[in-house]
Amino acid sequence: MPSIYSFFRYIPFVVEGTLWTISLVLGGLVIGFFIGLSLALVQSFGGERLKKMLNIYIWFFRGTPLLVLLSLFYWAVFPSLGLELSPLETSIAVLGMRSGAYQSQIFKDSINSVDYGQILAARSIGMSNRKLISYIVLPQALRISIPAWSNEYAVILKDSAICFALGVMEILTRVRYVSTATGLALLPYLFAGVLFFILTFAGTGVMDFVYRRAKIPGMLEGLR
Amino acid sequence: MKVVIKAENVWKKYGSTIALRGASLELREGETKVIIGPSGAGKSTFLKCLNLLIRPDEGRICIDGEEITSLKADIIRLRQKIGFVFQEFNLFHHLTAVGNITIGLTKVKGMSKEDALEKAKRVLKMVHIGEDLWNKYPAQLSGGQKQRVAIARALAMDPLVMLYDEPTSALDPGLSSEVLLVIKDLSERGITSLVVTHEMGFAYEVADTIAIMNNGRIIEEGSPEEMEYMKTKEARNILNRWNGMKNGVLA
Ligand SMILES: Nc1ncnc2c1ncn2[C@@H]1O[C@H](COP(=O)(O)OP(=O)(O)OP(=O)(O)O)[C@@H](O)[C@H]1O
Ligand SMILES: [Mg+2]
Repeated sequence: MPSIYSFFRYIPFVVEGTLWTISLVLGGLVIGFFIGLSLALVQSFGGERLKKMLNIYIWFFRGTPLLVLLSLFYWAVFPSLGLELSPLETSIAVLGMRSGAYQSQIFKDSINSVDYGQILAARSIGMSNRKLISYIVLPQALRISIPAWSNEYAVILKDSAICFALGVMEILTRVRYVSTATGLALLPYLFAGVLFFILTFAGTGVMDFVYRRAKIPGMLEGLR
Repeated sequence: MKVVIKAENVWKKYGSTIALRGASLELREGETKVIIGPSGAGKSTFLKCLNLLIRPDEGRICIDGEEITSLKADIIRLRQKIGFVFQEFNLFHHLTAVGNITIGLTKVKGMSKEDALEKAKRVLKMVHIGEDLWNKYPAQLSGGQKQRVAIARALAMDPLVMLYDEPTSALDPGLSSEVLLVIKDLSERGITSLVVTHEMGFAYEVADTIAIMNNGRIIEEGSPEEMEYMKTKEARNILNRWNGMKNGVLA
């Protein structure tokens, strides 16, 4: 019977994994933000041909399991492009490209929820598409996106654990190592669960705060 | 008087619906023209064609002598010569009353923040929006206040002409009159105006000319006094129905 005390000295080692997990999540979210926003803008304002091509991108990243994407890009796609990316870099890139496909949907919905009348009004005072996107559409759409974006954070946080497959030193990878080293199972995995819970709770809490701060006065139901 | 808007033979189809069938119109500097006509006559479509919010399929529209329907036209610049007021106000939800006005001044006209703010205050006063409302968001304003801010937003761009598409039909009668009074006041100050409305009293009181629209065309027009002597039966029928609703909002 392995002693549970043997687990305690591994706690700092496991906790350090949160830094890796946070890197994966923030990296993925930020890359996904720019990809998702660009995709959404093209889908709302772009030409038909471009939309079709981007739909293929979205369909591919949403339809393929993350584990398959990670392996595909790490072993095949990036090397064949001559890119020598580390497991961490590959994971961030893949999480970002995949999150971009999901975030495009979020931004598309929130861009569409800015009513067309405001776009006509912006045109009527002489705004170009670029200006009305920057000053009228996005300031509203991004506010509306926050709750769904908070959800995307929670999703990508959990997905990041799959990056253990490439040996990224995130929480789960470390816990699996500790479990093997100590012969314990319940305690290390429970501990990992608690860490993920705290990260989810903290992250969505921050987003809630931002959402409340960004609320437009007088509007019911938050921002709509 | 100089012709500010000249529209000739404008056609517009939506799929199989023909909304405009050769609509023409001329608006002179300082003139206030009211367009009346039944629902579906194409009034909104026509107005939106005038500043190319909708591109007509056919026809020629000139603003201040420049053809906006030309493929080479600088639409962004020409649109600034036309103030547009929508039935549904269409204020920018995320900006205050002042912000709704300064955004166009700073981002389109390139004014400094301070100058834009001064100007915004000036036009808000013109539409009787007091200081207590300057920093309110659209959701915190009444319908009549929203529409007056929308008028101020258009006015602030110093347009040659103001277009109003049923500016009061989304408002309760009490709130309609506060908006109509502002439009009347602007018209009396000499601002060239084109107003689509169902408000009889307003039309007879404020319009220099009343144009009757039906089936995608302007069928006849004349001064309020000439309304009794319309030549076509089509126009007389529309007027009779319309006079039945006479309620004299400004009387
Ligand atoms: N976006 C659109 N798509 C399809 N049909 C449209 C569209 N907009 C208007 N129409 C049709 O074109 C015709 C003219 O519509 P328009 O809105 O210009 O009329 P209107 O005179 O402004 O009517 P109302 O007094 O009800 O506002 C109508 O038959 C209408 O159903
Ligand atoms: Mg209409």
